[in-house]
Amino acid sequence: MAREFDHLFKLLIIGDSGVGKSCLLLRFADNTFSGSYITTIGVDFKIRTLEINGERIKLQIWDTAGQERFRTITSTYYRGTHGVIVVYDVTNGESFANVKRWLHEIEQNCDVVNKVLVGNKNDCPSRKVVVIEDAQRFANQMNIPLFETSAKENINVEEMFLTITKMVLRSKLEMKERQNVTSNETVHLKRGHKTKKKCC
Amino acid sequence: MSFASKMPSLRIDQSDLKCKNGCDYFGNPQWQGYCSKCHREQMMRQRRAEKASTNPSATLPKPEQKKPERGLKLSSHSSFSKFEEKRLRQSETLKKANLLKFSVFKKSSSDDHDHTPEKRPPEFKIPAMVFEGMKHDFRARFPALAPQVDRDARVFVHSFIMDVIKCANVMTVDELSERVQRQYQRFMKHMDTSPHFGNVDSDTKELLLDFVEKHAMTYLHELPSVVFSPSGTDDERLDRAMSERIQQLSWVGERHLECKLDRNSAACRQLLYKAISELLGMDSAMSPGGKLARVRRCCRHVLALCGAPASADDLLPALIFTVLKANPPRLVSNINFVTRFCNAQRLMTGEGGYYFTNLCCAVSFIENLTAESLNMDKKEFDCYMAMPASIGGSAWAAALSLCGCAREAEEQLAAAQALLREARDVQAQAQAVHDNAATFEEQIVKKVQDVLSKTPLEIKPRRELPQFGKFKSSAKPLIDLEPSVVPKETNPEPSDQALAQTGTSVQQPLIDYKDPPIDHKETEAEQPRIDSRVPIALPAPPLTTKDQKEQQILTVDTSSTEPEKLNILGFEVIDRPSPKSPQNLDQNWDLKQTSSLELLTPSLLGFTPFDSRSIDELMTPDEFVSDHLAPGLSNINYDIDLSDFSGDNSLAEDAPKAKDPFSPDGIKKFDPFAPQPSTFAETLEKFNEFSLVDAKTNRPYDPFEIVHRNTDPFSAGLAVTLPQQTTDPFSPQQKEGTSILDDNNSPTAACLLPSPLLPQSSGKPA
Repeated sequence: MAREFDHLFKLLIIGDSGVGKSCLLLRFADNTFSGSYITTIGVDFKIRTLEINGERIKLQIWDTAGQERFRTITSTYYRGTHGVIVVYDVTNGESFANVKRWLHEIEQNCDVVNKVLVGNKNDCPSRKVVVIEDAQRFANQMNIPLFETSAKENINVEEMFLTITKMVLRSKLEMKERQNVTSNETVHLKRGHKTKKKCC
Repeated sequence: MSFASKMPSLRIDQSDLKCKNGCDYFGNPQWQGYCSKCHREQMMRQRRAEKASTNPSATLPKPEQKKPERGLKLSSHSSFSKFEEKRLRQSETLKKANLLKFSVFKKSSSDDHDHTPEKRPPEFKIPAMVFEGMKHDFRARFPALAPQVDRDARVFVHSFIMDVIKCANVMTVDELSERVQRQYQRFMKHMDTSPHFGNVDSDTKELLLDFVEKHAMTYLHELPSVVFSPSGTDDERLDRAMSERIQQLSWVGERHLECKLDRNSAACRQLLYKAISELLGMDSAMSPGGKLARVRRCCRHVLALCGAPASADDLLPALIFTVLKANPPRLVSNINFVTRFCNAQRLMTGEGGYYFTNLCCAVSFIENLTAESLNMDKKEFDCYMAMPASIGGSAWAAALSLCGCAREAEEQLAAAQALLREARDVQAQAQAVHDNAATFEEQIVKKVQDVLSKTPLEIKPRRELPQFGKFKSSAKPLIDLEPSVVPKETNPEPSDQALAQTGTSVQQPLIDYKDPPIDHKETEAEQPRIDSRVPIALPAPPLTTKDQKEQQILTVDTSSTEPEKLNILGFEVIDRPSPKSPQNLDQNWDLKQTSSLELLTPSLLGFTPFDSRSIDELMTPDEFVSDHLAPGLSNINYDIDLSDFSGDNSLAEDAPKAKDPFSPDGIKKFDPFAPQPSTFAETLEKFNEFSLVDAKTNRPYDPFEIVHRNTDPFSAGLAVTLPQQTTDPFSPQQKEGTSILDDNNSPTAACLLPSPLLPQSSGKPA
């Protein structure tokens, strides 16, 4: 295949308005160290290609509007999403409190999806409200990896994206294996469908 | 039918009117006594029985059999007779009726009349135009791909369209959408497996899929109710509802949505205007891909509107605002169409997909918009909503209409500027042409001047009494004379030829020349003609007419073409010869024969002041002293001068002939060009003539050269008027300027001598 990537993953960044979703995205996609950055098409829609275990992975990251009033309508964003990055602001307790709602939102819209929890704006200890212990406890409880990042200082951003990408990749490969096991079944199903079509 | 038989009876029991099935609804004879519902159920049962027993193998009539099923889905009734089915359809929607025309459906319904449901319906044909367009587009888009790929794509599109049309009648929209998605996948798979696509990379494959989708969907889009706001959905109703809702919400401004838009900023207005135009253009795009592209462009404008860097937190409100202001037609239908029939992969990923998702969010937000979602008081919200739609949003509407006007103005300005540029170009070109013409004219003038200056005419009076008679009698006396002359001076002839080659200028003088030899009277008569043609034309009738050879009339066409030059040359002289010539003709002739000195004698006609001056310069004062013969001679000289100006060549022939035998006779040189002022010119010409004559008389051996030298001083004396003539050193200049003469290979002096003669000879034959 002459394709420039092996996998195309769609990631979603959600979180309250003003927690720095766009900044994270900007930092990740526009980062200078990465030569694989392809294009900038507005801030909300970023593409970057990573290489993990020799596999080229094209990341497509969708930014979402975090306002409360848009919460009910964001379900369309989840279609076809491989991974979700839930962001809260470590200097804003309310945004952390809303994480639970966001996670619930994800549960409702996606079946199986990889998630990471990100506490952004972790660059000013004096203003930090959400201590990492609380966050970590919550993350463990939800079984989600937690990252404290700073888009401003470029702390942990790359690692966070790499982690979610690896998670997505792993789950995809697992899915593939499972599909291979059940491939006969699927073929059978298809056949059945075709004959059915002819009948009616 | 038994029910029908009961009809005639006078009294019809109400029970008879009721459904045979026993339900409480009224029956109808058309429905065989059943109520509509029961009748449908009945028909359904019959149909199933029929199908099971008679027609298990027929695959093609499948659509017919499915029709009723679809009817079921649509109306949720149990059974229809085909006849009723048709009626129902007709009453359904116009769109649907149109669909029947396109699809197999109509055919099958007509078949129903014949009660031949199994009959195979005629194949539905996709207009060949579709595939022609596809072929064309394919070549334009994928010039590098093999023709098999093109074929495969077309085949696929054909089967795709046929499949969709068939299924459209029997499937719900969701099923159809699924089927379409499967078709896309099928094509993708085909591309992966088929050898035809072996060397096609994956990016191109995606483009091909887009290509296929575009063409298939563009065609299907035009079929009413098949894929775009299909029957069986309430897309149309939702469209209207959405449009009304947006209109109602026209009061929603940027502050309600908390987006940072500045109505007073022209740039902002422009961007919003562009975004809105793109959004409105979405409806006119035919394929899902086209619609997506419109949405993408729209959202890019919106992004720019938000200012960089913009996040989704900004984009969505701005997009909602844009949708509210745009109120795009058939918005719901468009969105549903794209959602259902666009390649799902594209919708879930990619920029277009992202923006389209945002648009969907915006639309759903508008649908569910409440006071809460606008962060405003419920009462206020209700107040706004109760307000007539026309009032709200007038500020933005005004701003946008301003934008539209501004845009229009811009377009017109651009058009005007383009026109202006064009006009300037035309003007510049006209100027160029004008300049060209001017330079051309100048060049011509200069060339003519060069030619004239380099080929001054030296006219030697000829005296050949015996031949003279012949000349008079015949129009071509010169020819006879030529042979005699030729041996003496070979050079002049070639020069003459060269002159003849010069062109029209030479030819005309020749013609003029012809005239004089015929008769003096005739020449006189002709003179006016010549003048009329060319003001400067010089009749050389008088002496020459007798001698004919001596006549050296130089009516130069070149002079005629360029009056300025003629003036320079001093052709004004023309006037003189006519009066002089007739008078002197006979007398001069005799005188000339007698001696060269006589010829040289200046004319007594009253040009004395110039004569004296010229004489001094020429150093031939004695000769210039006028004798009684002098006037005649002067006349002769005068003619000669004229001839020189116009066409040295014409004179050349005669001159050499005359000169050779009559070398002692005066040789005339033509500086005449010099005198630009007419009054001076006359005198100058005379002067030249005289001087020439004098020079010749003084130096009989090399008359030409001598003459030439003489001319130089004259020119110097006349300096102002005749710079070119003075510079005439014959050999170099003649060669350069007068190519004609050069061609003849004659030495400059020789050229000069023959040149006057030649034109005559050439003229006569011509």
